[in-house]
Amino acid sequence: MWTRTVNGRVLHFYLAGINNQNFLMRDRETGTWWQQITGKAIYGPLQGAALELVLSDELTFGQWRTESPDGQVLAAVTKYKKEYDPNWEPDVAKLPVVISFPGTELKSRDVVIGLTINGTARAYPWETFAKQSPVVDRVNGTPLLLVLGPDSKSFRVFVARIDGKDAEFFLQGEEPAEAQAGKTDVKSETKKDWTLVDATTASQWNFRGCAISGPAQGKCLDRVPALKDYWFDWRNYHPETTVYKH
Amino acid sequence: MSAASPSTPLLRTQPQSSRWVWTVFSLCAVVAIGLFFIPAFIIRPFTHQSPRPLLLAMALRQRAPLGTLIAALACFILAYELWRTVGRLRKSLLVLTLLLVTFSAVMARLNYFEWMFHPIAGPQFVAQSASKLDPKEMILAVRMENDSRAYPISQMAYHHILNDVVAGVPIAVTY
Repeated sequence: MWTRTVNGRVLHFYLAGINNQNFLMRDRETGTWWQQITGKAIYGPLQGAALELVLSDELTFGQWRTESPDGQVLAAVTKYKKEYDPNWEPDVAKLPVVISFPGTELKSRDVVIGLTINGTARAYPWETFAKQSPVVDRVNGTPLLLVLGPDSKSFRVFVARIDGKDAEFFLQGEEPAEAQAGKTDVKSETKKDWTLVDATTASQWNFRGCAISGPAQGKCLDRVPALKDYWFDWRNYHPETTVYKH
Repeated sequence: MSAASPSTPLLRTQPQSSRWVWTVFSLCAVVAIGLFFIPAFIIRPFTHQSPRPLLLAMALRQRAPLGTLIAALACFILAYELWRTVGRLRKSLLVLTLLLVTFSAVMARLNYFEWMFHPIAGPQFVAQSASKLDPKEMILAVRMENDSRAYPISQMAYHHILNDVVAGVPIAVTY
């Protein structure tokens, strides 16, 4: 997601080309071409400009609404309802891949969490991450904490530092997923006992990266923008990316 | 020597200028048709676009609305010049070419990607408590100040892009 203001001017974007997982867009104001995945203007009057990234999350609706009780949801447009594919995930996974990278450790349609820290890119294979969550790593000198949410589908990445000092985090007591099956109450959609604990202050932290009890209460960890993407797409735009291995 | 027929009084002087007119006509037709079809071919779904062809496609597409119009007008004028001098076969060729040229000039001003993936004209929002979304459905979430919004991925995977304003900040939601 990107802000639409460039040099004080608000731009309006429209779809101008599809490239499988990514697309090109143009702004109505100048006709400049922008790349969706990088937010960079690649051709036209504003060539060279870059859009500012907006921090966003990929969450389940259930997780999001416990965090944002006053939140608003985009309404489906009635006349396009038949175009919306509730099974978009498996259906997109079946689409042909336009570029592949044989010889790399991952398969083209493997899902990864991709992030960059000061220009250094790293990909975390989703399956590895989901099994090991919370994942602690270090990229370009920055300690990172990657966590899978209580719903086992949402994820977030934080800088693992409290008051400027590196910290280690552990998951504390979670209910097994099976116990949640069949419950429709909002509160039980996410595991109520899901908390992170840090080794430094023994404070408890929630999935939003904020300490809810203990000496660090009220503090929040810095968020790291991360993208859930297919390996071939991430690798295509980050040729120098490393891959997390445990 | 046979007399020139009334409908082609300049028959003897036609060949030279006619060839010249045909050449220019063909060039204009190539320009008009190429300006639309070349970028459309390069930027097509499910193909990888490497940097240089992509640059060419964007450069042509940017000039296409005006370029196809000028070239199309030239084609029509030249075709009019040629019309009386040619037989049925070439007339058909002229018509076919003019159709392609017109198609190209029209399409150069339209965005067929938005026919495949309609944009959302005026986004409407529903309070989360009133939403009928399944709790397991994936959404893109943005929060700015006290404005928290969710965009279902099943919808964004179709529309691809939405211009929205969250807490007064204009953003582009993309998927």
